[in-house]
Amino acid sequence: MTRMVIDPITRIEGHLRIDTENQGGEIVDAWSRGEMFRGFEAVLTGRDPFDAPVITQRICGVCPVSHGIASCEALENAFAIEIPENARLQRNLILGANFIASHLTHFYQLSALDFIRIESLLDYRGSNSTLNHLKGWAEQEISSRKILPVAPFLPHLEGDYPKDQKWNIQALEHYLQSLEIRKESHKMAALFGGKMPHTATLVAGGVTSSVQADVVENFRTRLLRVRQFVDDVYLPDVQRAAELFPAYRRMGAGVKSYLSFGVFDENGHDFLPSGFLNEGQLHSLDLSLIREGTRYSRYRDGAPKHPSVGVTEPDPEKEGGYSWLKAPRYGGSACEVGPLARLLIAAHHNVFPLTQQLRRLGWKEAELNSVMGRHLARALETAWIARRMEEWLDRLRGGEATVSSYGPSLSGQGEGLIEAPRGALGHWIHVEKGRIRRYQCIVPSTWNFSPAGEKGDKGPVETALIGTSVARESQGLEAARVVRSFDPCIACAIH
Amino acid sequence: MSITRRTFLKDAGLLIGLLGLQPVALAEVAEALELLATGRAPVLWLQGQACSGCSVSLLNSESPSPADLLTRYLSLYFHQTLAAATGVAAQGCLEQALKEERRILVVEGAVPAGMPHACMLGEESFNDLLLRSARGAQAVVNVGSCACFGGIPGGEENQTGAVGVSSFLKGKKVQTPQFSLPGCPVHPAWIVGTLMQLVRGGSLPTDELGRPRAFYGGLLHDQCPFFAKYQVQEFARHPGDKGCLFKLGCQGPITHADCSLRGWNGGVNWCVRAGGVCVGCARPEFAQHKNYPFYRFNEGETEGSSS
Repeated sequence: MTRMVIDPITRIEGHLRIDTENQGGEIVDAWSRGEMFRGFEAVLTGRDPFDAPVITQRICGVCPVSHGIASCEALENAFAIEIPENARLQRNLILGANFIASHLTHFYQLSALDFIRIESLLDYRGSNSTLNHLKGWAEQEISSRKILPVAPFLPHLEGDYPKDQKWNIQALEHYLQSLEIRKESHKMAALFGGKMPHTATLVAGGVTSSVQADVVENFRTRLLRVRQFVDDVYLPDVQRAAELFPAYRRMGAGVKSYLSFGVFDENGHDFLPSGFLNEGQLHSLDLSLIREGTRYSRYRDGAPKHPSVGVTEPDPEKEGGYSWLKAPRYGGSACEVGPLARLLIAAHHNVFPLTQQLRRLGWKEAELNSVMGRHLARALETAWIARRMEEWLDRLRGGEATVSSYGPSLSGQGEGLIEAPRGALGHWIHVEKGRIRRYQCIVPSTWNFSPAGEKGDKGPVETALIGTSVARESQGLEAARVVRSFDPCIACAIH
Repeated sequence: MSITRRTFLKDAGLLIGLLGLQPVALAEVAEALELLATGRAPVLWLQGQACSGCSVSLLNSESPSPADLLTRYLSLYFHQTLAAATGVAAQGCLEQALKEERRILVVEGAVPAGMPHACMLGEESFNDLLLRSARGAQAVVNVGSCACFGGIPGGEENQTGAVGVSSFLKGKKVQTPQFSLPGCPVHPAWIVGTLMQLVRGGSLPTDELGRPRAFYGGLLHDQCPFFAKYQVQEFARHPGDKGCLFKLGCQGPITHADCSLRGWNGGVNWCVRAGGVCVGCARPEFAQHKNYPFYRFNEGETEGSSS
């Protein structure tokens, strides 16, 4: 039995360490360890409740919009504030743009380098000027006396990178192109959000930006460019990666309990619906079943609590506490959340044609519960949302209200439930005498990267790591591929 | 195709516009870019108590584009979000970068001064790593309000004793010059502009907080498109209303930053133009005090009843 420590896991958001125990070329046990705590909930306590969307967006620079909207919804729920249709649509559009940016960044900037042999660039003989520039740069770097030539692309862990020269080169080119496309999607979000990351327009009661025809068309033009990339480049790239790494269509299988809070409110119905899918059975949500435990977390112990009465009391050197993440459970189950969970749940609701899409792409549904399955689900979802965004644009009404009016709001309790790019996100607020008395968040990566629960039951990523084949000389490449397929955001998870 | 003098002059021209410099500076900026590109100014980027928003913002850079930044201008020796290396390989890069004496250290995120276990990297506390990295660096560039002044992690009643980098390094015998680029997040043009100026050697006038005057010299309010509304006292009273946002809590009149001129995300928009108040995210006091709300329409009624 050998112990392997991967610290830090790079190309993710935040500070994550993974420990595994390996035996006979396989991971037999795993520990997911979040390593950075800020304490947002304590910073929020005692503030004006309307500060919450501004503060909570800053939990995460990758998915600020979902926090902003969850926080607004928690306030609207607490104070019985309705929002106008224009606000609902603008929120969907800002959030949709954030989803696209997040998913593209995840595949190209964060994950793709695990599946590309970067050194192939030096053998490039074609006439593409971008690639020739890149090759020239790499050659110059290597012949220089720099300590770390071709950083941040080299060095990388040794491993089974593909020999397919065409793939390696094309994927690198798409890495660079996607940087421009993700920027476009941030511009889309900023058109209604003011700026990205960390928007300025999300307030309780609506969205402050008015609906102007020129802005709507500005958004649409950019959306068309982004959609083209998603359909013609992103989706085929994920398909090709899955062909080149068939073992990863099996490896990384998770807990088979999936959770979604539902997202993209279309007048009371979520475009991507909520649900709890357990061993193939779909159940409607019962939020009273959520508990967060701290037995193996670096917080003072206590019975697992519902977030509406949750507490966050750090105990940094707690014995047995191996992570700064708490351990959320739904009816006692560790749940996988994210694009795969959303698409499976949407398919069970018959609102997403999963079977048809998989048939077209040559996938079996059972293969989705894997590293490549998660990448595919993310890409399919990106295309599905981007297509819907045009309809939201069409429904915006110039000249009509974007924020509802309401008076001062001094007490109440509310919850805001939404889906962030990485999965189910909940904010719970309790306001007394015009001040926040309690604020608790359970964030997608808290679910996925959870440490063990009260009974020692493993979290979803820990479970997915167990059984992963590793090369004898591995320094963690295979495990890192499994971990990245869940798109970790550790700043979010701990907050 | 290799990098030519001509390419540098072209990109430098874009930067001149970005920095608001006189065209006379063209040759100097081109030289600065060349210095960066040939690896004479390696960058080590560390993340403490951060949300990665400043890294994400850097990728929103217009000219140079993010791809150009990575392959022409920055020798990004270590960056947790972008490095191909992971685990032991990543730690190796970090240690190599620390041997480089000409490194520019960029710091994103606050420092948990009161709770070192609150941020760990490779079994070392971020606090210790920061100290090692800052000592002997050519310069320390703090990006974003967390690294500059503590930001939200350093807000009132925080649980980790979070502070900005300058506060943390004070009294620890670090001689390295420090620059502060506050904002939540930092604007990509502020980072890129600062790095370009830095390698030119000392031609970066700053204020008493280490903020480059080129970006933080004026108040947002002075160039605000709603300034005329402010003068005739046409104020919005509720979010979404028309008029100057001052009475809603807009901090434009006390915030030093050039957002109202520069705009965000390639200039497509910025907070106040979109009807959102300026929350003063570039102010040293940003999010520090619980009794200083961002939106003030809930105020008045609350003051009497809260204790």
